[in-house]
Amino acid sequence: MPTSRRFFLRNGALALAGTTAIPSFLVRSVLGQTAVTPKRRLIVIFQRGAADGLNIVVPWREKNYYSMRPSIAIPQNQVLNLDGFFGLHPSLAAFKPLYDQGHLAVVHAVGSPDMTRSHFDAQDYMESGTPGVKSTRDGWLNRALQAEDLRCHCDHSQFRAVALGADVPLTLAGKVPAIALNNINNFTVGARGPAPSPAASAFEAMYAGSGDRIFHAAGEETFDAVQMLRAANPAQYAPAPGVEYPKSEFGNNMRQIAQLLKADLGVEAAFTDVAGWDTHQNQGGVNGQLANRLLDFSVSIAAFWRDMGDDAENITLVTMSEFGRTAHENGTGGTDHGHANVMFVLGGQIKGGKIYGRWPGLENHQLNQGRDLALTTDYRQVLGEILSNNLGATNLGLVFPGAEVTPNRFLRLT
Amino acid sequence: MNCLLGPVAALLSLSLLCPATPAAAATPGTETSRSTFQSTQLQGDTRILHALNRFTFGPRPGDLEAVRSMGLDAWFESQLHPASLDLSDLNARLAQFPAMQLSTEDLLYRLPSNALLRQMTNRKLDAPQADLPYAIYTNQMERLQARREQQQQQNPSSASAPQEPVPPTTSAGSNGMGVDTATEQAENPTPMAKEPVPASGQDQMPGASPRGAPAPLPADASLLQSLVALSPQQRIAKLANMTQPDFDRFIQALRPQQRKALVADFTPEQKESVAALEGPERTVVEELIAQRLTRDIYSTAQLQEVMTDFWFNHFNVYLRKNEQMPYYLVSYERDTIRPLAMGKFEDLLEATAHSPAMLIYLDNATSIGPDSLAAQRAERAAWRNPGNQRKAPEGLNENYARELMELHTLGVNGGYTQADVTQVARILTGWTVDRPVRGGGFQFNPNRHEPGTKKVMGQKFKDHGELEGRELLHFLATRPATAQFLCHEMAVRFVADDPPQSLVDRMAKAYMASDGDIAQVLRTLFHSPEFWSTSVYRAKVKTPIEYVVSTVRASDAGVDNLRPVANALRQMGMPLYGCIPPTGYSWKSSDWVSTGSLVDRMNFALALAANRLPGIYADWAPQPQDEAPPSVRARSNEPIAREEARLESMLMPGGLSVSTRAALLQKFQQETASPQAISATSADNARAANAIERQDQLLAGLLLGSPDFQRR
Repeated sequence: MPTSRRFFLRNGALALAGTTAIPSFLVRSVLGQTAVTPKRRLIVIFQRGAADGLNIVVPWREKNYYSMRPSIAIPQNQVLNLDGFFGLHPSLAAFKPLYDQGHLAVVHAVGSPDMTRSHFDAQDYMESGTPGVKSTRDGWLNRALQAEDLRCHCDHSQFRAVALGADVPLTLAGKVPAIALNNINNFTVGARGPAPSPAASAFEAMYAGSGDRIFHAAGEETFDAVQMLRAANPAQYAPAPGVEYPKSEFGNNMRQIAQLLKADLGVEAAFTDVAGWDTHQNQGGVNGQLANRLLDFSVSIAAFWRDMGDDAENITLVTMSEFGRTAHENGTGGTDHGHANVMFVLGGQIKGGKIYGRWPGLENHQLNQGRDLALTTDYRQVLGEILSNNLGATNLGLVFPGAEVTPNRFLRLT
Repeated sequence: MNCLLGPVAALLSLSLLCPATPAAAATPGTETSRSTFQSTQLQGDTRILHALNRFTFGPRPGDLEAVRSMGLDAWFESQLHPASLDLSDLNARLAQFPAMQLSTEDLLYRLPSNALLRQMTNRKLDAPQADLPYAIYTNQMERLQARREQQQQQNPSSASAPQEPVPPTTSAGSNGMGVDTATEQAENPTPMAKEPVPASGQDQMPGASPRGAPAPLPADASLLQSLVALSPQQRIAKLANMTQPDFDRFIQALRPQQRKALVADFTPEQKESVAALEGPERTVVEELIAQRLTRDIYSTAQLQEVMTDFWFNHFNVYLRKNEQMPYYLVSYERDTIRPLAMGKFEDLLEATAHSPAMLIYLDNATSIGPDSLAAQRAERAAWRNPGNQRKAPEGLNENYARELMELHTLGVNGGYTQADVTQVARILTGWTVDRPVRGGGFQFNPNRHEPGTKKVMGQKFKDHGELEGRELLHFLATRPATAQFLCHEMAVRFVADDPPQSLVDRMAKAYMASDGDIAQVLRTLFHSPEFWSTSVYRAKVKTPIEYVVSTVRASDAGVDNLRPVANALRQMGMPLYGCIPPTGYSWKSSDWVSTGSLVDRMNFALALAANRLPGIYADWAPQPQDEAPPSVRARSNEPIAREEARLESMLMPGGLSVSTRAALLQKFQQETASPQAISATSADNARAANAIERQDQLLAGLLLGSPDFQRR
């Protein structure tokens, strides 16, 4: 068996780096020779609570859009026009240049085909990648990494799959180990500092010395990861000049994902979520609740994109939400649980500047169950195409069992 | 295979194939370590420790001796009869949470929900007039109003970065939106804030800065002083008379010590009122979480609490399903789950099926028979008035019907079909909640009930109104598949991730023979050789709740403040009442051993042991009665090893494995100053004592965070 990354790390550069201060560029270059630096990185963003796609990418040429949403519709003269039919919500101004430059693509009338209007079912279904099947215990992104492993017996970094948050979300749960981090600065045992604390080295020795195989291995992985993070010190990477992330939780998460990527830790897939889209009441139009969410959302993502500079070339970022919202506004200035929605795909390899998917129309008879935007694209076709481009995944049947995600159904986003 | 599976996952599966090894390695000095035959039975104290680890939230110092003198079998029987146990200490502690004794209606009256307050704002209901309750209501109404206005006024296009996007901490306290529709029907939006614990005023978690975040503004010290000079009665009145912005500004600027001083001489009710002036719903959630942790840590009826945890998880309900849920959960756990946790399963099933919490959580409250009177009326109304935008009744909702069979009784392979799910949903139409915003109870609404005979798994259910559903529950509770499913789940909780089928069969037989008597099933488990096999000793990895509570119990820490414990659980991915899907949390190790979680566990142990968790205090100094057993004294001729041995026998009466202990001592001696040097050379006794205390804290933290302590 060839020298594995783990062997190298434990006995080589980082074993050293853990105790002495090695300049980070040296660590990076040593790492670069051994660890397989993935060419492509995938960032997945989940908008929890069901975002209102019809007010995010607005079909401003649809007459019925305005009659169904008398108090919350975005007026035609405020929409940021994209193609003469659709336009962005004005709070998404930060997305406009990305669209114009051809990096940002929009997929409309997309989502999970399951008809549930339950947030948790729909989130589970979307994250597991198996709409309608509740027993699935792992997530589509984890299975995508498993599929990659079947194809290539490569070594991977501990940081291969990272979630910003308290726990590993279902999207990333499964056989491939994933790390959940609330805060890259807190991911350490005992006191922070340039070297491990006495408590940390004692713990490390105890787990290494333990005959308990599960915790022996988990301890080894943990201290590897902690050491890698300390050596790479992602916190040293300040945002690129002129880039400013919003001081929101989502903005922080995007900033930290950028730091992890810049630190060259071998991240292949990163996940974060952003809550607050469940706008049943007073969702607002040009201004208001949804507008504020969208501003934070778009400014954070655009900041991340600019922050990554040339590396953005190898990044694909995709957004999703469990379902859309009713086409009609309700009696309390909001919208209720609907069906199809909009997804954004941003990336260096993406043919952006275009709206993808078949538009089903918004006339009353065109609505799903008479109330929501109908679904014309299964979100798994979008993810499948991204995965096959991004991770070179060929075994999409494993990632999305039963979904028939095949290249002939792709939207040709890449 | 190595490449496909992560190393941890690969090792997990390996160790499941041969679970004897960790057990043998973990039992030094006991007769059981001589043999690794799976059929070998645990003996002596190891038996007691095994029982304590499985049927309690972990042994406290002295538990081993107490069970030894009582006799293991007698102890177990007493645990099956919690009414016979002395709960006076626990009850004294629970008196801190007066609202937790109230009925749902009274709780909503004293600590109104946002939904209730919005109804009052719309003048549908009157707020109470007495000064204090009035202030609790108006403070929160004004907060809701201010939040709404702030959301409407923010102008997003004026800046390149959003001005203060609503931070998630405040949304967790409301529900993620702050302005959700609250209707008299239970068909409420599901709030999606992922974190169930209100975070404002929270204490920092380990790894973050060691103390609570400094207040943004200096507190109004003179106001505080003048308030403290008043009698408690007058002080409360004064606080209630402050305007909401003034009150919020004052209270939020207080440092923890100042806040303590403000309420030091208050009764629990008065303390609760101050909290309610700050946020009534938040008070409910905090007390709900605190009472559960208090019971888990301090109850002498440990098995009852373990089973309450087990059944709550089995019949999971999510705290943030809607704004009323925190209020319903108080009664759900207290009246529905706990008293029935060791009774007949059918009673428990009936109680959960009738509980507003479950009816709302799994949407049965909104389910309407397609051919029911209500559906026909709605259809006629829609036909007469097609422009009406009011939401039409949604019709049949299968959510509860499916989970009732898949998760609560038969199990996913229990032999039912999609057609059966629909039939069950029809049977249960009309089971709803009476005025949920006011905290109403179960209601059978015959107008929503689907008429006609239904057929489930070959069994006919004649049109009987509510009785139909009760017959169905009886039918489900008495299926052999249900016995298998429940007993397997219990065996996974109490015995091993992959329990022997022979054991599950024996338990299932006891279930069927006893009309589903949970105590009888537990008794069968307790008297089964599979339970006492050395191969399952320490085979279970603690879940976060088991881990965190067992550390507090083992260290015999005094706990005034349960927030750090609740925060740790959230950080470790197992927030109390915070499991969103109906599946509940997993009992299996593979779901809880991960890189991030191990970091959190080690940091929690260090922080707890070093008294860095605010309001939690552990004392590591030797007590007069402490004397290490001879076996321990024999191996410790160095002070550090003696100290380690003393703490080890307190925290881990089962002992650390030899290799782990050796690694610990070796590293410890390398990395820290020799305690001998400290005591010999330092003239300053206080400093020496301090150094010894710090050394004990570190040692205790390492023991509590050790690989051995991760198992039970």
